[in-house]
Amino acid sequence: MLETLELKRTPFHERTSRLSVAQNWRRWAGYAVVGSYELSLDHEYWAIRDRAALIDVSPLMKYMIEGPDAARLLHKVTTRDIFKMGVGQVYYTGWCDEDGKLLDDGTVSRLSDQSFRMTSAEPSLRWLAMNAVGLDVKVNEVTDEMAALSLQGPKSRAVLNRCCADRLDALKYFRLMNTGISGAPVSVSRTGYTGDLGYEIWVQAEQALTIWDALMAAGADYGITPCGILAMDMARVEAGLFMVDADYTASNHAWIEGQKSSPFEMGLDWTVNLNKKGYFVGRRALEQEKKTGSAWKLVGLDVDWVGLERLFAEVGLPPQIPGMAVRASLPVMAEGKQIGYASTSTWSPVLKKYIALAHLQRPHYEPGTAVTMEVTVEHHRRHAPAKVVKLPFYDPAWKKK
Amino acid sequence: MADIIVIGAGLNGLVAANYLAKAGKHVLVLERRALAGGQAVTESFGAGFQADVLHAGGQLRPDIVADLDLARHGLPESTSEPLISLHPDGRQLRLTADSDSETLASIGAFSKRDAERWPDFVAFMNAAAGFLDAAYRTPMPRLPHVKLAEGLPLARLAMKLRGLGARDMFRVIRALPMSALELTEEWFESDGVRAAIGAVAVHGATLGPMSAGAGFSLMHNWLNRGGPGHRRVENGIGGLANALVAALKARGGQLRVSAPVEAVLTDDQCARGVRLASGEDILAPIVISGADPRHTLLDLVGAPDLPPEFVWATQSIKMRGSVAKVHLLTDGAHALPSGTLVVAPTVRYVERAYDAAKYGRTSLEPYLEITANGPVVSIHFQFAPYALRGAEWSQERAVLERIAIDTASNALPQLKSSIREIKSLTPLDLEKTYGLTEGDLNHGQLLLDQMLFMRPMPGWSTHKTPIDNLYLCGAGVHGGGGISGAAGRNAAAAVLRGK
Repeated sequence: MLETLELKRTPFHERTSRLSVAQNWRRWAGYAVVGSYELSLDHEYWAIRDRAALIDVSPLMKYMIEGPDAARLLHKVTTRDIFKMGVGQVYYTGWCDEDGKLLDDGTVSRLSDQSFRMTSAEPSLRWLAMNAVGLDVKVNEVTDEMAALSLQGPKSRAVLNRCCADRLDALKYFRLMNTGISGAPVSVSRTGYTGDLGYEIWVQAEQALTIWDALMAAGADYGITPCGILAMDMARVEAGLFMVDADYTASNHAWIEGQKSSPFEMGLDWTVNLNKKGYFVGRRALEQEKKTGSAWKLVGLDVDWVGLERLFAEVGLPPQIPGMAVRASLPVMAEGKQIGYASTSTWSPVLKKYIALAHLQRPHYEPGTAVTMEVTVEHHRRHAPAKVVKLPFYDPAWKKK
Repeated sequence: MADIIVIGAGLNGLVAANYLAKAGKHVLVLERRALAGGQAVTESFGAGFQADVLHAGGQLRPDIVADLDLARHGLPESTSEPLISLHPDGRQLRLTADSDSETLASIGAFSKRDAERWPDFVAFMNAAAGFLDAAYRTPMPRLPHVKLAEGLPLARLAMKLRGLGARDMFRVIRALPMSALELTEEWFESDGVRAAIGAVAVHGATLGPMSAGAGFSLMHNWLNRGGPGHRRVENGIGGLANALVAALKARGGQLRVSAPVEAVLTDDQCARGVRLASGEDILAPIVISGADPRHTLLDLVGAPDLPPEFVWATQSIKMRGSVAKVHLLTDGAHALPSGTLVVAPTVRYVERAYDAAKYGRTSLEPYLEITANGPVVSIHFQFAPYALRGAEWSQERAVLERIAIDTASNALPQLKSSIREIKSLTPLDLEKTYGLTEGDLNHGQLLLDQMLFMRPMPGWSTHKTPIDNLYLCGAGVHGGGGISGAAGRNAAAAVLRGK
């Protein structure tokens, strides 16, 4: 019997709920998470870019993949060469169906020779199990058992150095280490979804609050700020990071072929290793696409401020831009024809620009191409001039340093 | 070096090898056992104890016999036998496709009306079988993407169906998904006649006469038998394989026996040869497997090298064998009449026999097919499920033998005292000795959802696999199921059509 119809609560709920002034809750994979703690996103957003933002990312789907064939399973599922992955390394990767269309994307961490942790946005247990046939490997979902906190921002390292049992200075970008916080064993990966310096801390759910309290105390002097997922959504667009079912449709959710995207189309060329040994799901189709080129590409759009101002000036208004990332499809035109669409658009506070992630058709996806993007000016659909740019929009030097 | 390796010297493998050798290819056939023939073997279990181990009779499709000129290579004669249904009261129902006076008189003793309808029923069944024969000859498309090249043969098949005439066309289509009971009820009033036909429908299948789709399996078995009874092959069914081997050698092909294949070697999703259990690698640009699809793909290739959806589909092929064999060496005084004798007195009897299999039990009152060849009596036993519930075949063998002998002896009173030796084959033996996964003679049940463009699985009925240059030619692929060679013929055509 179902006792309540409430969303699940993350292991940090006791803390996050008390801080949630705005009561702006969002649903994420069956959990209730804070959209924003405050009524305006500014304070939380700037914590990511200037200080240290603490974000509850526990609803990420997490899987432990263990056994003699663990690497073989992930080598088959993902587009990356898992056999070349060292212990302590983290790979970002997408994974595809047999037609080379993306099902989801996430991270794979090698915890030991025969043990990996994989994160995904969508439930992936069945897909992993289907791929594990004939392999000596165990796949366990640990989404509920494992809490995850993302500490993002230029001061995140300083905060962790104050509360971790080990110093993190030597931990490189997309690497992971085991350490402790207030006696609780944690694993810390230098990863995130903001494009800034940042870490993700993985801990058993029972010790979640201990970690939260330790981080909040250690970060007080650095202006650590609990941050909701709406501010993170703005930061991830600036970082050129996309989201399944917002910026692309998982191939198993797509109604029609046209809704599907390949990793090449999403600009993930660098994650598709066609030189790796052996079969992996979608290999043939991806090899073919590599040869013929992609029909679509995910690119950045930089909306021309002067042009935007002019459109609003015509009705006597200054430019009106939503103060958060908007996941709505906006037509993109060139030479009077629609050549694509923006999937997420946002005001970028750090760049002082109106930017968007956009799917554009060949040949219009080349950087520098002049296009227009639909904007709504006082209830009227208009087109603001924009330029195709490479992703990411924002890439601070300290991200990988 | 061979151009093509064929895994398994079963009838389909040998037929495929012959067609390819005839087309000028250098073919090497590898057989795991010491003798060729696969399921169509005549084997000796001791002095004077020689039996057609798995099939009491059968024939290759006439077009194959002609194409491969098998008459010249010693293809043995085969003769059509009547199906004789044994009743507890001693009555015998004789069924043949000839509608001779003896047959009609025998049916008339059960029902005058049924005897009158028999010739029309035979004509209908022959038409239906003819349609299936044409279908099994037609290359199937890779649904859902039907190209023009595949569409044309399909259109021809549709014409063939239309050529049956409006009345028979609809009768055939309508009968495919029906149960054997529903179908025979429309023709016959005698339960004995319905039961005997129902037994033909479920022969080799894990189905009862009341199961949906037994209409189709009836047509399929009728096609392969050429009527209700088996076609007995003179000097044993092994003669079919011997003729194919002789023909293959005459065409320059090679056969290696006692050469079990352990793995299909692949490189970048392309077959490049095989590895024998001995560790020997034999390379060839094309590999064709006559083993069942599940064994070929999941064991010889291996799931890790195959797309996950395809692996799932392969795992989902319904095998579910429930046939056992009990061979008896008698002193010759068994007093069996000649023919395909069946113990299937009522529809209810056969359905109950099948019910046991559903629940993982050996039928206590089984449907039997009994044939005699000199002093050797062979019993085909249904149903003996591969997956027993709460029992193991190592212990169940004695139970199987007792039930088989008791049931047969009830119908044939002189049998029991004539028995000298017993050799039984459980579904587990069929798997271990004859390489039949789950003991399924058909390499995948003859179910409508596993036939034509869905055999062995939807989208893969073209004999190809996700591994380039690895083809399937066994009973589990289009054309297959039963003794006919059609699957091997179709596979060879697919190989010759190329990539």
